[in-house]
Amino acid sequence: MLPIAVDAMGGDNAPSAILAGALEAAALGIPLLLVGPEGLEGIGDLPLLVANEVIEMDDDPAQSVRRKRDSTLVRAAEAVRDGKASAMISAGNTGATMASALLRMGRISGVARPAIATPVPVPGGHPTVLLDAGANAEVQPEWLVQFALMGSVYSERRFGVENPRVGLLSIGEEPGKGDTLRKETYELLKVAPGINFIGNVEGRDLMTGVVDVVVTDGFTGNVVLKTLEGSLRTVVKALFTAFGQPEYADAANTLMPALLPLYETLDPDSYGGAILLGVDGVCIISHGSSSARAMVNGIKCAQEMVETGMVEAIRVAISTTLAE
Amino acid sequence: MATIERNEILATVCRQLAEILEISAADISETQSLADDLGADSIALIELVDSLEQEFSDIIPNFQFDDDDLSGLRTVADAVNYIVLALGK
Repeated sequence: MLPIAVDAMGGDNAPSAILAGALEAAALGIPLLLVGPEGLEGIGDLPLLVANEVIEMDDDPAQSVRRKRDSTLVRAAEAVRDGKASAMISAGNTGATMASALLRMGRISGVARPAIATPVPVPGGHPTVLLDAGANAEVQPEWLVQFALMGSVYSERRFGVENPRVGLLSIGEEPGKGDTLRKETYELLKVAPGINFIGNVEGRDLMTGVVDVVVTDGFTGNVVLKTLEGSLRTVVKALFTAFGQPEYADAANTLMPALLPLYETLDPDSYGGAILLGVDGVCIISHGSSSARAMVNGIKCAQEMVETGMVEAIRVAISTTLAE
Repeated sequence: MATIERNEILATVCRQLAEILEISAADISETQSLADDLGADSIALIELVDSLEQEFSDIIPNFQFDDDDLSGLRTVADAVNYIVLALGK
């Protein structure tokens, strides 16, 4: 397998957390290609693709990709395009990561828009795939149908779900619920080939296991995702605060063995990031605040997506649908 | 600076547009509106500009579309003329 290009300078904790994660992943036998400035320290024996500019978290995505051609993000995407890497991963500026992948790797033929697919943890089950989690603030009904198809392929390949159930995120289960976009999309999804559409779902269904793929526009998807992350963090913090009280010490010791695996399931770092579906290469977008552990898991995810042929599977699904 | 004819620039713009919009280059004419006639939206426009900047960077050193000028790129001819103008500078 070709190495996975790791943007060493992307993210709030770069380069230290990124390098720590990369070294750990490399120790597991995953081939890596670091992309960073000349003389970058702490990289051990890992190969370095030199890129001397950095796209900052607050840089304008499309503009920075065109202006900072020697940036770590752009060079990582070019490494995939040029056959020097099998995938890329970055915890940097999400919009710029998407723009780099889109402009350098290009779209898979027939894909109107790439979408960010994020695994949402489900206690006791496989994650629900939420897309779009932020790539396209405004969408058209036809794009959402493609998102449904790409999300289904991802759910199958990454989580082994057969014939994934697809739901359209709305404000009620009935077909007539929602705005014009949801109503028009519902009618298209109902008859779309290759998609196991089960109807509208609501926000509360995301973590219950009643649906495998949830489709929405990028604006709504991002709000949903951040709300979930914030809520989970608040609940976990409140639990640990309560268990930290001396009077609950015994109860906490008893419950911890059960709660820690649950915490592990709900921790976003366990999944290592989202994937940009629809571009002609594997692109993993990790959280800006990614830890070394998140990077390891993101790199493992990238490896899995390469080995399971995710891009090719989406190419086939899209071309088959267009032919029908 | 290497010389290049206007019709070569037009052919390159049409080829890049055809690739981005997944249509035939033969169906693109100079007078067509990028948005109204060819269906190019804002992302497609960025893809076009980026690809043209890369394509012409060998002929026009440091060639870049000014972001303030992007709204003025309404037709295929506008994109061609922008490159012709940059060549003349």
